[in-house]
Amino acid sequence: MTILPFDPALAAVGKNKIDWAGRGMPLLGAIAKRLSQTGSVNGIRIGIALVLEPKTANLALALKTAGADVSVFSASADGPKADVVAALQAEGVTVFAATGGAADDLTMARALLNTAPQILLDDGAFVIRLAHREFPGLVAGMIGAVEQTASGVRPLAEMHKAGQLQLPVLSVNDARLKHIFDNVYGTGQSCVMALLDVTNLQIAGRRVLVIGYGWVGRGVALHCAALGARVTVAELDPIKALQAIHNGHAARSVSDAAPTAEVVFAATGIAGVLTPDHVRLLPDGAILCTAGGGAFELPMDHLRSQGPPRPLRRDIAEYQTGSGKSVLVIAEGHRINHTAAEGNPIEIMDLSLSLQASAAELLALAGRSMSPGIHRLPDTIETALAVQRVQLSGGSIEPMTPELEHAMRRW
Amino acid sequence: MLAHNTDEFRDLVEDGRARIAWVEKHAPVLTGLVRNTLSDGSLKGVRIAVVVHLEAKTAFLASILADAGAEVIVAGSNPRTTHGAVVAALRDRGLTVVSEADGDMATWEKELLLAADHQPHYIIDDGAELTLRMAMHRPELFRQLKGVSEETTTGTARLLAMAAAGNLPFPALTANNARCKHLFDNRYGTGQTTIQAILRLTNRQIAGAPYVVVGYGYVGRGIAEYAKRMGAQTRVIECDPVRALEAHMDGHTVGAARDMLPGASVVVTATGGMRAIGSPEFRFLSTDVVLANAGHHDLEVDVDALGHEALSVSAPRPGIQTYRLGASDIHVLSGGALVNIAGGSGHPVEIMDLTFAVQGLGAHYLVNTKLAPGVHVLPKKIDDSIAAAKLQSMGIHIDQPRQEQQDDVIGLIKGMPQP
Repeated sequence: MTILPFDPALAAVGKNKIDWAGRGMPLLGAIAKRLSQTGSVNGIRIGIALVLEPKTANLALALKTAGADVSVFSASADGPKADVVAALQAEGVTVFAATGGAADDLTMARALLNTAPQILLDDGAFVIRLAHREFPGLVAGMIGAVEQTASGVRPLAEMHKAGQLQLPVLSVNDARLKHIFDNVYGTGQSCVMALLDVTNLQIAGRRVLVIGYGWVGRGVALHCAALGARVTVAELDPIKALQAIHNGHAARSVSDAAPTAEVVFAATGIAGVLTPDHVRLLPDGAILCTAGGGAFELPMDHLRSQGPPRPLRRDIAEYQTGSGKSVLVIAEGHRINHTAAEGNPIEIMDLSLSLQASAAELLALAGRSMSPGIHRLPDTIETALAVQRVQLSGGSIEPMTPELEHAMRRW
Repeated sequence: MLAHNTDEFRDLVEDGRARIAWVEKHAPVLTGLVRNTLSDGSLKGVRIAVVVHLEAKTAFLASILADAGAEVIVAGSNPRTTHGAVVAALRDRGLTVVSEADGDMATWEKELLLAADHQPHYIIDDGAELTLRMAMHRPELFRQLKGVSEETTTGTARLLAMAAAGNLPFPALTANNARCKHLFDNRYGTGQTTIQAILRLTNRQIAGAPYVVVGYGYVGRGIAEYAKRMGAQTRVIECDPVRALEAHMDGHTVGAARDMLPGASVVVTATGGMRAIGSPEFRFLSTDVVLANAGHHDLEVDVDALGHEALSVSAPRPGIQTYRLGASDIHVLSGGALVNIAGGSGHPVEIMDLTFAVQGLGAHYLVNTKLAPGVHVLPKKIDDSIAAAKLQSMGIHIDQPRQEQQDDVIGLIKGMPQP
């Protein structure tokens, strides 16, 4: 475990980045003002375990400014963000930034939990699960948690089914304002652009296999196709596979698609969706990356067992597949948009992090009376934010009239 | 310049080599057709100046020419786009490189004259930058030039102007006018990478954002098309009525600067001229607008005028300068230089495989063909051979037309009475 020494010069660089992101986050700015006025999170200990970068730093600072006692944990796979860490430290936020892989992540996440947060804002439910395993006393006294991703909501729902979830968890991901935008446009745009930035290759004409056609998979497929790629989707759910076909993509099993796949995006959030057998089918030089979930979707252990990877370029390593061919793994299989780029675009995170802030506010006000389980955010929170965003984009909403209301009720 | 025996230089060389090796891996036309064609010995001892944005793809072209026996002199075509590691790798393998990374306009002018003083026989030029300077500052050496192959729309216009003024005493090939160049490089290459660089430098969202593209040539078309496909609300400013109508038919909103600029979140210039966004346009810009340039000239966004009129200038992020104009913040990417190269990694490798095939085979054609002074286009046969090689490398087979599939022109005019 290494605590980074505070560096004021680095803090200035980080502050610039945070301020730049803040320019594109008017909704979060408005919530920050409201929280400061109402004092609803004042004095509450909030632990943030979101991917630490300039946008999430704006959330941390918004809560801090509103009087919350904020601590942040950042996982090592999410890349070194020393400047953002320093800028947050300068503002009095405690940061536990892991840099040394999985073991260090665990140490740092435990350190976050040792600050006894009353509310946890999590991404992938890593810290929520850790708290349940190792900090039962803490969990018993917590108000609740907020989960950002589908990958995190899935195991939490399983925990709840098994009677193990002790906390009310607000699922930001289940908000339409989150998954329709963040997962599709945010993750879609940023993952595909990160691939192009890292490789300096062209995507027009390339055969791309997208594994998983949830919201993230749809976004990745959409942006690849927009840039001219020929997209094939692999999906367990026949309805989603059929939807992929109607969106102009091909739908095939991974085994069927692998022999011609030049680029593979795993977008499932599920471990082991690409197996060693699949990898052996891929053409020589195929590119592997993940969107939304993480390296656990790829057969990294198998690839590492075939010999040491050869670094070809920054964030590109060549691994042997064991069949005389090689594959190029981007960012060691970690989420490409976070590890090899700056994460989701700012405006998208304004929506998602405004939901996070609203969820934290809701927990602070009413979390103590919520039962353990996965809860959705009230529609009113989402629609209020959507109206603001539409207006900021120069749009307007069709007003409801008594005539329309009447017409809609007729039968 | 670093001493060659230092660790720092060795590290740079290794970095540069890895970058060039990556290009080689994805450049089947250069490694196949072009290498083979150039290996006939006709380039032995020929001095060729390569004056193109000096990054890994250009370095690979220079290497192939050197492998074919040419004496290659390498210079960057813009001081902001020269890559230090690539320069080191080229020097390490014995090429003459006159450019350094992180230069400015003054050092760049000196570098170009240095390149001229190596007395090239031929130039592979970008923007006709070296050709123009040799004509102006090294007239004797200019008269000894045997030919120029030009990369860009801007440079082609400059060469045509020189020819019209009687100032072009040698044949020039406009690589830009080859279909394998402008159909792909200008449209897909610049289109993809300009959007890529804007998004990377700003971390902003494109879906739903109002994007203005100034100029609707091949470059402008590519940018507008990619932006639209990624969800932007695209607007086009274009002075040519035919192109403006084309932009309208392509689904973009078309109009004058005063109507298109207000409310835009990103403005991309792609006219190939200067001051597309100049002082008269500044007042139409909304606060927080991002200005980026995809054209050859660094003054397409008039950063000089912005500097004069701004109350203050700040640098919020790498590659972004923010000018405070009245109550508005105007963000300029990469100092107004070509954003996809100065603020990104340049064109995709596969695109430059085509463009540099045109340049490499163009140089070979210039050396081996007697051409009259003036501006020429690469013969269609060579152009076609590049596309055929690319298709072949991807395992794509196409049909040959059969005689009976063609319009029977002869039959139609046979027996036609003479008017």
